[in-house]
Amino acid sequence: MNTNDLIEDLARGLTPAAPLWRPGKRAAAWSVGAALYLAVLVVSMSAVSARAGGAGTGFWVSQIAAVVTGLLAGRAAFVSVVPGLPKGSRIWAVFAAVVWLGTLIAALPQDFDWATVLAARHEWVCVGFIVVGGAPLMVVLAVMLRRGAPLHPATTAAFAALAVGALANVGACLSLPHANSAITFAWHGGVVLALVALAALTGHFVFVWGAARSQSIVNGPAGHGT
Amino acid sequence: MRAAQQGHGASYMELLRTITPRIRQLIRRQRGFAGIAEVEDLVQDVLLSLHTVRATYDPARPFVPWLLAIVRNRLVDGARRYARIARREIYVDEEDVTFFEPATNDDNGELEDAAALHAAVRALPEGQREAIELLKLKELSLREAAEVSGTSVGALKVATHRAMATLRRTLGKRRE
Repeated sequence: MNTNDLIEDLARGLTPAAPLWRPGKRAAAWSVGAALYLAVLVVSMSAVSARAGGAGTGFWVSQIAAVVTGLLAGRAAFVSVVPGLPKGSRIWAVFAAVVWLGTLIAALPQDFDWATVLAARHEWVCVGFIVVGGAPLMVVLAVMLRRGAPLHPATTAAFAALAVGALANVGACLSLPHANSAITFAWHGGVVLALVALAALTGHFVFVWGAARSQSIVNGPAGHGT
Repeated sequence: MRAAQQGHGASYMELLRTITPRIRQLIRRQRGFAGIAEVEDLVQDVLLSLHTVRATYDPARPFVPWLLAIVRNRLVDGARRYARIARREIYVDEEDVTFFEPATNDDNGELEDAAALHAAVRALPEGQREAIELLKLKELSLREAAEVSGTSVGALKVATHRAMATLRRTLGKRRE
């Protein structure tokens, strides 16, 4: 097709496309929804009061770091689907993730034994909480992100997985008691890392120009609010 | 672009007509080796992408960085696509049509191969030879051949596979 004909076709078939909310606002909307969902999940599962009552400062510091990581990673994911925005948010998200892992490492007991930690079979419940419990959050986030531009599919997917993993980790820590931070570090950290790696590898299947394009041309633009 | 987001087709057309020569110029500068058709493909790719994600444009921010980010992304994707195609496909310039090429109509070669093939089949172990004769020479179905030979379909498949491998090896050595 001739480029001039294409321009005429695009202009002729133009439908209104309300600008998307700014990335920070979209991330905040998703985070509020995620927090409510996880709160319901935690309360319905358990013993949050018993866990929180016996928790030390280290526990809460690492939970706060995980929450901050989730929020910043969510924002970085939303920023990555808007063309022309600076990439600083990615650095902040990575920095927060490093701090979160740092808090877990700092709280490791002196005499922990890797064999015991890795043999903690009850931690599969936490893995299930993070993966299965986090799945609806991931789906909602992916749907919201697909309304943007799939400029960097691997990066977008990795930050989305980090956001979901970090927040779901907090839910898992609050709902299921852990013997020590070594278990949290190895199991929760390992699962989140695996999710991020998997998302980075498969992101290009989810965030695709072709799909967004055909959807936009057939049904009108992807935009309208969130 | 703000007017375009509100659905004003005329403004949108004016915008696209204004930016298209600049996009084309940018692509030519970045892809000096690309032909006219390739450049136009990339220009159209950028225009379609821009159209698809027009909702991501924030009217409070400048338009050019937004546009350039899309152009850069499409150029990188285009380069990846080009590299992928170049790696998987071989450009064939002028290949002889099989039937007009004298070498393909050499009767001597065909007879020689047929004789070699007969010899190679005769040299096969009993089970493999029988499988080849029934399936390839007499062209029986697997079930018919199994009934004639008194073996299972699976055993026949294995024997045929091994016989073909042996023949390929034997005839290959002869040719070398």
